[in-house]
Amino acid sequence: MSTPRTGGKIVGAFAASHSPGITGWPERAAEDARKAVEGAYAEVRRRIAELEPDAVIAVSVEHFTNFSLGNLPAFAIATGEDYLGPATPEMAKFLNVPQHRYPGDAALGEHLYSSALDAEFDPALVQGGLEFDENFCVPLKHLDPDSRYPLVPVIVNGVNPPWPTAKRCYDFGRMLRGAVARQTAAQRVVVLATGGLSHWVGLPESGDINEKFDRDFLARLESGDPARLTAFTREEIDAAGNGAHEIRTWLVAAGAAATGFDVLAYEPVSAWLTGTSVAAARI
Amino acid sequence: MSLYEVHKLLWDVRRVRDVTERYRSDPDAVLDEYGVEGDFRTWMKDLDFKSLYEHDVNPYLLYFCAIQLEVDRADYYARIRGVKAR
Repeated sequence: MSTPRTGGKIVGAFAASHSPGITGWPERAAEDARKAVEGAYAEVRRRIAELEPDAVIAVSVEHFTNFSLGNLPAFAIATGEDYLGPATPEMAKFLNVPQHRYPGDAALGEHLYSSALDAEFDPALVQGGLEFDENFCVPLKHLDPDSRYPLVPVIVNGVNPPWPTAKRCYDFGRMLRGAVARQTAAQRVVVLATGGLSHWVGLPESGDINEKFDRDFLARLESGDPARLTAFTREEIDAAGNGAHEIRTWLVAAGAAATGFDVLAYEPVSAWLTGTSVAAARI
Repeated sequence: MSLYEVHKLLWDVRRVRDVTERYRSDPDAVLDEYGVEGDFRTWMKDLDFKSLYEHDVNPYLLYFCAIQLEVDRADYYARIRGVKAR
């Protein structure tokens, strides 16, 4: 008689910016900043490879590539077998990422969706057709260049107010942690959050960086203190630009990790229009 | 007319190739089709992104639509900053 397999475990959690400039026009950043960011991405790539994950829960926003104001969920969980990214040849050129299909972990996606409902979260179900933009294509070009890891994409609304509260995002991450432990198919799971930090998209302030906000956010992330992480109001986040609302994805990762993070890089890169950071949970 | 018609048009210009092409060649016909009227119609035709943003149009949708219409990024930002005349 074989021994029953134990529940799955989150073996790593990481967070990183996804500015199109990181892959689209890296050379426009100052050399030191570029090296710091690319070095941190390389370190995370190495750590993920070492962790040998069965699946990656990839948490990000999506920039009206799939959803519209005719249907904009606060949270969505995708359960597809695979995903196209970048969504169009034009976007592929813009991001400098070849268009291809990324593998999905449909079974884990279905389990996470079902677990969310049981935990009284009500995400949208995306059974197929989800296409990626910079949200996943930019960081994964560095972190999983051969697209080896099966993904469960989780989308958080960070692009149109009103956004889910910081606490709701953190709690969504805690829910994911519990759900991973209640299945056995994917034993080793990595959570990867992408987005932020401060930036303005399509606005007059584009190119500004709110370094004070970024450093405060990262200090809270390092502490891992849920009370500090969930204390952000929508207005406080808005002061760092409409793009800063993507930190919600980092809050999901913080809830899933249930511990503090180490900041591997932080660079305010105006040329990439973003306060750019890469961080790893102390798991 | 509600703001939704403008948002739907902006999304479709970005994501539905047929709408993009028809908007480029005959914007009035497409604006009619989407029921975009009044000041919003004028601002759309003038690419007056500043006025559209100041009247609650989502800046992501504005920016992506502009890119799809091959408005240069520098030109877009000049317009939304109001430093470029309509």
